[in-house]
Amino acid sequence: MGIKITVKNTADGSTIKMEVDPKETVSDIIDSAAEYWKRDAGAYVLKKGKSILRGTDTAMEINLMSGDTLEMIPDPEGGQ
Amino acid sequence: MTRDPEDTVLRVGQSDSDRYDRMRRVGWVDMDAVHSARILVAGAGALGNEVVKNLVLAGFNTIDVADMDDIVVSNLSRCLFFRDGDVRKVMKSDVVAQRASEMNPDACVSSIPKRIQEIDDWDYDIALGCLDNIAARMHINSHTYFRNIPYIDGATDGFRGKVHVVLPGGPCLQCTMNRTHVREAEKRFTCTGSSSTYVPRMAADITTTAVVAAMQVREAIKIASGRMDMCLKHVAYYNGESCEMFTAEASVDPGCVNHLLREGV
Repeated sequence: MGIKITVKNTADGSTIKMEVDPKETVSDIIDSAAEYWKRDAGAYVLKKGKSILRGTDTAMEINLMSGDTLEMIPDPEGGQ
Repeated sequence: MTRDPEDTVLRVGQSDSDRYDRMRRVGWVDMDAVHSARILVAGAGALGNEVVKNLVLAGFNTIDVADMDDIVVSNLSRCLFFRDGDVRKVMKSDVVAQRASEMNPDACVSSIPKRIQEIDDWDYDIALGCLDNIAARMHINSHTYFRNIPYIDGATDGFRGKVHVVLPGGPCLQCTMNRTHVREAEKRFTCTGSSSTYVPRMAADITTTAVVAAMQVREAIKIASGRMDMCLKHVAYYNGESCEMFTAEASVDPGCVNHLLREGV
């Protein structure tokens, strides 16, 4: 049974509901959300509470629970 | 360094004749330490211009600025040291070094007109990243982390910006990266420059650049003054469209190669 969470896009405030398998990783969640929002290819991080989540960590390892909200943040890489 | 009021002899008009008087009024700022800190600025584009300007005005006197690009017209909307006559004639780092030195005779700003990957002298107290791609950031991050040099990375994308502070022993840039960063790592995001290897150009504006650069140099002042306890932990994200800012904490990735190397694993 999957973990039912909400992912919030901090770029525009929109949200999506997702069902995540405990073995799926943070990077898997980012990829799925980015694909749903049809975001341009780019770098993103996922934040839970105050913490940036590591890409290789699984939903189980980050103690993801049904009802949690994760924030997806576009990670700027320009500067020139 | 805190001045002892008992040793101070006040002269009329003295407070206006000291270039750094207003800085000294911030109690925790150690101007002697700021003056003597050796600084590397990696990148002399929009962020690099603003960062070097702030560093020189704040009293940092020993600054090396590295960049391999020359100046193009579209730089002129964001780079205060560049002029029309510089376009396609001079290297960004040369111009920034020369004109920043003119702002403050105490400052020695030197140019390193080459790729970040070609820097071989890492004798710095603080490094500031003003780059346009993940691969170059990872390079600076690795070298500085291994040498215990605090690294302050800045980044922008249009009206969005980010500042990431990496302190010795703490989580580094790579600890926060995931699969999306790996995919982007070898792309050279840039908005100008003949040596670009990746298009499209990225959105960029001076207002976001100025905010991010100001935060970077503020963190450098804290570090130089021995106040790492006051530093950002660890990333600040800025959204110029909504005028919102929030911070996020990173944690050490036990599999991060930089930490494994530093620990001799």
